[in-house]
Order: sequence, then structure tokens, then C-alpha cells
Amino acid sequence: MSELLRIKGLSKSFGRKAVLKDFDLTVESGRVYGLLGCNGEGKTTLARILMGVIPADGGDISYKGRRITFGQSAYKREFGYVPEDPFFFDDMTVRGLIDFNGRFYPKWDRKRAVADLERFALDPRARVGTLSRGQKLKLGLAVALAAAPEFLILDDPTSGLDVPTRQEFLRDVIRELAASGTTILFASHLVHELERIVERLLVLKGGRLILDEDFDKVKDEHQASLEDIFVRLVAGA
Amino acid sequence: MFTTLFFKEWREKALIFSFELSILAVLLGAQFFLQQKKDIREWLIYAVLLLFFPFAALILGAAGFESENRQEAWAYLFSRPVSRLVVWLAKLAALVSMFTVLWLIFLAAWAAFPAVRELASGPRVLLEYVAESGFPWWSVGLSAFLLIVAFSLSLLRARQFNLLFVALLLGLSSPAVAWGLIISKVGGFMAWLAPEKALRTLLISLVLMALAFVGASLLTLVRADHSQPRKQMRSFAVSFVPFLVLALAGTVATALFIPLPGHNFVSLVTSSGDNAVYATERGILAYDAAAGRIRWLAKTRSELYQLSSPANGRLAYSVLDIKSRRDVAQEVWTVGMDGRDRRLAVGRGSPGPWDPANTDIMGLMIRPDGRSIALLTRAASSRSKGALPALWTVNVDGTGLERLPLDALLADGTTENLWLFFMAWGRTANVLVILKRHSSQSGQTQFGLWAYDLDRRTLSKFEDGVLPASWRGSMSPREDRLAIKLSSGSNLGGPVTALAFFDLATMKRTALVEGTDLVLSRVQWDPAGERLLFQVKRPAPEGRADYANAVYSLAAGKVVAEEAFASSDREAWMIWTAWMPDGRSIVALDSDGRSLKVLSPELKETGRIALPARLKKPEDAATVGRQVLIVDGQTDSLWRLDLDTKRWKRVF
Repeated sequence: MSELLRIKGLSKSFGRKAVLKDFDLTVESGRVYGLLGCNGEGKTTLARILMGVIPADGGDISYKGRRITFGQSAYKREFGYVPEDPFFFDDMTVRGLIDFNGRFYPKWDRKRAVADLERFALDPRARVGTLSRGQKLKLGLAVALAAAPEFLILDDPTSGLDVPTRQEFLRDVIRELAASGTTILFASHLVHELERIVERLLVLKGGRLILDEDFDKVKDEHQASLEDIFVRLVAGA
Repeated sequence: MFTTLFFKEWREKALIFSFELSILAVLLGAQFFLQQKKDIREWLIYAVLLLFFPFAALILGAAGFESENRQEAWAYLFSRPVSRLVVWLAKLAALVSMFTVLWLIFLAAWAAFPAVRELASGPRVLLEYVAESGFPWWSVGLSAFLLIVAFSLSLLRARQFNLLFVALLLGLSSPAVAWGLIISKVGGFMAWLAPEKALRTLLISLVLMALAFVGASLLTLVRADHSQPRKQMRSFAVSFVPFLVLALAGTVATALFIPLPGHNFVSLVTSSGDNAVYATERGILAYDAAAGRIRWLAKTRSELYQLSSPANGRLAYSVLDIKSRRDVAQEVWTVGMDGRDRRLAVGRGSPGPWDPANTDIMGLMIRPDGRSIALLTRAASSRSKGALPALWTVNVDGTGLERLPLDALLADGTTENLWLFFMAWGRTANVLVILKRHSSQSGQTQFGLWAYDLDRRTLSKFEDGVLPASWRGSMSPREDRLAIKLSSGSNLGGPVTALAFFDLATMKRTALVEGTDLVLSRVQWDPAGERLLFQVKRPAPEGRADYANAVYSLAAGKVVAEEAFASSDREAWMIWTAWMPDGRSIVALDSDGRSLKVLSPELKETGRIALPARLKKPEDAATVGRQVLIVDGQTDSLWRLDLDTKRWKRVF
């Protein structure tokens, strides 16, 4: 598997609080990464930096061997992103948001977007502002998947989903994407959800990765559930 | 992507735009329902121009990033594969297009209905500016500025009300402060003497400040962390300050250094063998032949000044000293031709009857020995016809200021349209030659030459119907002879009966060329003062008039050379001639305006040099050393030709 993304020495502070410190990560293509961390450890910050939403204070990021900097946008055509907080343009309709996004992505699959709207029971004529948090998450997911991304960043996407949709999402959608070769970075604090899908486990604490290991190996070494492993790791055991 | 974002903005702002459109429709529609109530209609037009458009622009601008900030959708938008620059441009383009639609509606009403046109021209009075076009461009400019300011600030994640308030404050106070600065200390003279310059400076200032806001906004968007409002605000401030400093510097530079089209000029004052002196809108400069470059003698920052040909290495000039609109005084200075030893001769604090606040200097002349100056003045408060001129002398160091009586000159009571001009200051005899121009009772303009003997304190007329042969170059190089034209007509360029000269030592006249209907122009003494070069118009066969250059030799007592060169007034006007300092040749601009001819004193062409393509409108040839100076009347620049190397160079 080839290297898709490399992060070296990434740092980001908010005021006096350093959220990411000398953060290093290498992502190989076609794998599903599970990024675990307690609240406020920097999962969302990392996702936002990768998506060019906020600038990093320092460090280098390269995608497919090319350095990417804050303000570049072309690389994002191959990125999918489902943010933790699903803030869209409330005045748009669901269909309007789909069409709006369709202009930005060269591999946009409108049929897939329409199919996902049906699958998630979203009314295309509904205004985004009238949707619930869960529905907005589903909409975000439909948009991200229609872009046919090579690298998909999911920032705690299941926390607002109902149980059937969450199970379907984890069981079918993620597996389908993984099977098609899409690289996935799945950030979550709901540890047990990752257990079913993750191939490589990343644990973020104190602004750095304290674990970056194949999940099977971790399981073999610890002989415990992922939740127990995570608790031990963050507790410093 | 741009189009997608552009239409997204239109959809988002449709409600605001429709609201503004409705108000405009009501305000303009009222013009037709209230046809009998002109007062109300006038106020409504004022309301449209002074209130509606500025506030509409402010609200539109403030809505720039409003939806992204209010709905927290900025993170989503910035995570899309589109550059922030495109986002920013699309937003601005959408807002500008809405703003333009509003103005186009007003423009249609303005163009279609004379009543709207008439009323719309009113508010201009408030700005003390009368535009050539009646369209209220000032309101377009002001509202566009507010749109830019509000849009630039809308990026900041502040509350909308705060944003509107700050934008309004900055948007109105910055032009007000700029205007205040421009018309007060920094550029009072510009506002007073050339209000259009002050207004242009204000407009440039607004554009520069708008660019400062735009620059800061764009830099903040592409560099700052939008998730941290304080950091973002700091980034905006840090970006804005250098832009603002540049904008202010640009404004001051515009006010001080960039002249208005038509207000800049380069005008030859005099040339001798070594130097040529030019008056420009920026001051007085001398071209130094030895150094091959210009040297500033004085930077006056004022267009209103009089100049005297240098005498004994000193040049006299007058400038306006302006402290405020009400505190204006003319000053007379002298300066060495090397640009040093600048001395104030007359100004504030001058003794005696000199009233600096109420004196216009109409003419000045420096004595050939460079030790004293003669001044012709008139009371500033009575510039209209009937005001009496006054004659003064003063030493260059400011001492010995004295008003000389002009009783004899004014005794005939002909004060109607009376003007006096200095013609010469004799070197051998201490005599000032003054040209008197006035209107006779029959309304005809008359000229007469008067001599003021400064040693004997006597003033006497010595010739009527006499004009200087030319305004520049009438005095011989030794300053002992004054070339004149005898005329019965009223026009300086009109038919004359003779070309003559006065010997200033004896005050005797010698006729050189006589005729009944002579048209003489560009009379120039040769460097030795023995020959006169001039242009003469000869009636030619077939009703055409031919112009010829002619050389008169005092030794031979006749015209020794004559060469036709033009057949029309227009062609003749383009011909400029000058003796070379060695007196062995003459340079003349050709009538095609594209080449310079070198002529022998017998007026035979001995050489021809093409003018550079960039020299568009050649005028006014002068010679210094082996160099020729030509003014470009189109670009108001000064070009130099080195006759030895045949190379041209723009020197100013």
C-alpha cells in the first residue's frame, strides 16, 4: 500500500492551550483508520486543518507526495469530509445543497446522492434549516459520498444518528467504501463503534499520537476489548 | 465555481435586495405622485442620494459574510474545494452587481425625467463642487466606498449591529477626515485654487482607503483562523495598518505631486549660453548644460507665481504663502542660479505700506546687477477694472522697500482695463521700461512704452503704439537694446508697420524693417546682439500667405537672409527657432513636427535630426551649450538633444 498522506510536526494552539503538538502521522491508501481521543484532544482540529478550514501553527502536510498548504483547494476535490457539527446553509433546500456541491467535485455522482437521500429518507425539497441534527448528518454523509472521495474524513459522524442508520452506516457504507479502496479516517470518541470497521488504530492524547498500530496487533497484544484498551492507554497504563 | 458561488450569494441576499428595491421604487415613484410638491420631491431625492444609497450599500456590504457567520457555515464552505479568493470575489461581485442594479434604476429615472435630473443636481452644492455632469457621482462614490468598507468588515465575526455601526463610522469619518486634511493644512491651497484638484484628491484617497479595507479583508480571509474571532480581528488590524499608511501616503503624494491634467506645464522662462530656466507646476528648474541635468531652483507647490529672467546669477520669483483660506500672502524671493542662497525680499513682515494680505504681484523684474527688484502690484481686493497698479523697488535682502509714484503714467485717467508690464531694466542707464496697456474711450486697446529713470525719479512716455517685439527675447543679450514693433492695431500678433529697437542708453528708436501690413513673430536677438531672427508673414500669390524666417543684420542694415517655410498659420505656429549660443547656427523645429533642422545664419539647412517618437508635441526650442531643449506640450516633459552625439534624452 502506498503512502497517501504524511503529517509531520503539526502543531495548533487555541490561545494558550496547545491542542496539537509535534503531531506526526502517515496514512496509507485503502485503509480504514480509527482516530480515538477524549473530548478536546484535537480530533476535530486535525480534521479541520486537513480540510483547510483552519490554519496550522506549524508543521508539514503532504498528500500523494505533494506538500499542501493553507489556502490550497485543488487537493480537496479528492477529499470527503463529514464534520462533527453539521452547519450548512440553512436557507438552501436539500436538493440545492446537493447541486451546489456538485459543481465543486469532478467525480460527483448525482445518482448516488439522490439514492442516498432516499436511503436516509431525506426530502429533497426540505430546507436544510428545518432538518434535525441527525438528518443534517445524513445529508453531510450523502454529500461526502457523492463526491467519490479517495480520502474520507469522518469527524464523529455517528454521534447524532439513530441506531438503525448508525448500524447501516457502519455495516454497509463504511465496508463498501473500504472495499472500493477509499481511505478513511474515522474520528470518534464512541470506541465500540470503531471495533467493527477499523484496520489501524490511532489514539490521540496531549496533542500527540500515543498509539499508531494495526488494530489486529493491538487486540492480540492486549487481549481485551477496544474500549478497555483505549481506557488503559489514555489512563497511561 | 465562481458562477455557482455568485448565484448562491444572489439567492441569499435576494430578500435584502428586494427590500432595498422596494424602497427605491417608492422614493422614485413618489416623484410622479407628488408632482405639485417640489419641496417634498426635492427632499425625497436628497433622501435617495444622501441616505438611501449609502445605507443600502452599507447593508448590502455588511451582508457579505453574514450567512456564513450567522449559520456557522463558514467551516463547511471553506472545506469545499474552492479557493477563498474565489469565494471572496464571488461575494463581492454579487454585491456590486446588486448595487449596480439599484444605481441603474436611478440612472434610468435620472435620464428619463428632467425633473429628477434637476433635483438630483442640488446636493452638489453641499459639497462645494459643481460637476460638469449633473449626475450625482459623489453619491455613487460615497455609497460604493461604504459598500466596500462594510463588506470588508463583514468578514469579522462581529455582531451585525456592531458591524454596521463600525462600518458607518469608518465609512463616513474617513472621507470626512481626508476632506478636512485636504482642504486645511496639507492642501489648503489646492482646495482654494483648484477645487477640482481637492475633489480628485479626495476621490483618490477614498479609492486608496477602499483598497486598504479590501486588502486587509482579503489577507485576513486567506491567512487568518476564522474559528478564533479575536485572532481574526487582530490579523485584520495588522493587515490594515500598512495598507492604511500606504493609502495616506498615496493621498498626500497625490495632493502634492500629481498635477491635474491641464494644470501641469513646463514653460521656458529664459535661456542663456549655460542655463535654461523653466517654470513648472512644481516649481522653477534650471537645466545645467555642463552637468546635463536639471536642478531645482525653487519648489513652490503653487501655480501662481511670477518670474524674472536671471540677472547676474540671481533669479527673482513670487509665490503664494498660504496658511489658511483667510491668510494668504504673496512673497518675493530671489535665488542663485546654483539653487543656493534663497532670500526672501518681500512678504509677511515687510515694512511700511506693504500690505501682504492685500497685494497681488502682477509683475517683477530683477535689476541687471542682481541687487534689487522692481515690483508691479495691485490691491488683491480690487482685481476688477479700475484698480490702480503700484510700482515698488526693494533690495534682494528685503531692505529699502519703496513705493514709487506712478502719477504721470496715470494722469490721463485711463484706468479702464489698465495693465502694466515690465519690459526691460537698462544695464547702462538705470531705467525701467514699462509697457502700458489700456482701453481707450472708444474701447480700443492701446499700448505705450514708458521709461522710469530710477536715478532721476522721472517717469515719461517715450512711444505710443509700440509693442515689445516678443514677450520673451526682446531684450538684446547686452541688455542695451529693446526690440519693438510699431503698431496701429490693438493685437500683439496683429499687423504692424515696423520692426525697430530702442537704444536704452539714448532712448532713441531705430527702424529695421518697415511695411504696411507686417505680421512679425518670434523675434530673437543673436548671442552677440548684432542680428535679429524673426518670422514674417508675406502675402503670397493666389491668396495664400507664406511665412518666412528672416535674419536682419544691424551691421548690414538690412535683411540678409529670408527663407519661406510655411504656408498656413497652423504650420507657422509649429515652428520654433533658437540661435545656438555660439551664434553660428540656428535650430528650428520643422513644420511636420517630427524633426529639428539646423540652419546656417543664412538660413540654409545644414542638418536635420529626427525627433524621438515619444516626443509627441514639440514646442519651444531653447539652446544651451551644444544642446537643444524641446518641451513636449502633450506630456509636459522636457527633452534634450546633444548636437554632438545626436542623442535625445528626457530630462524632466
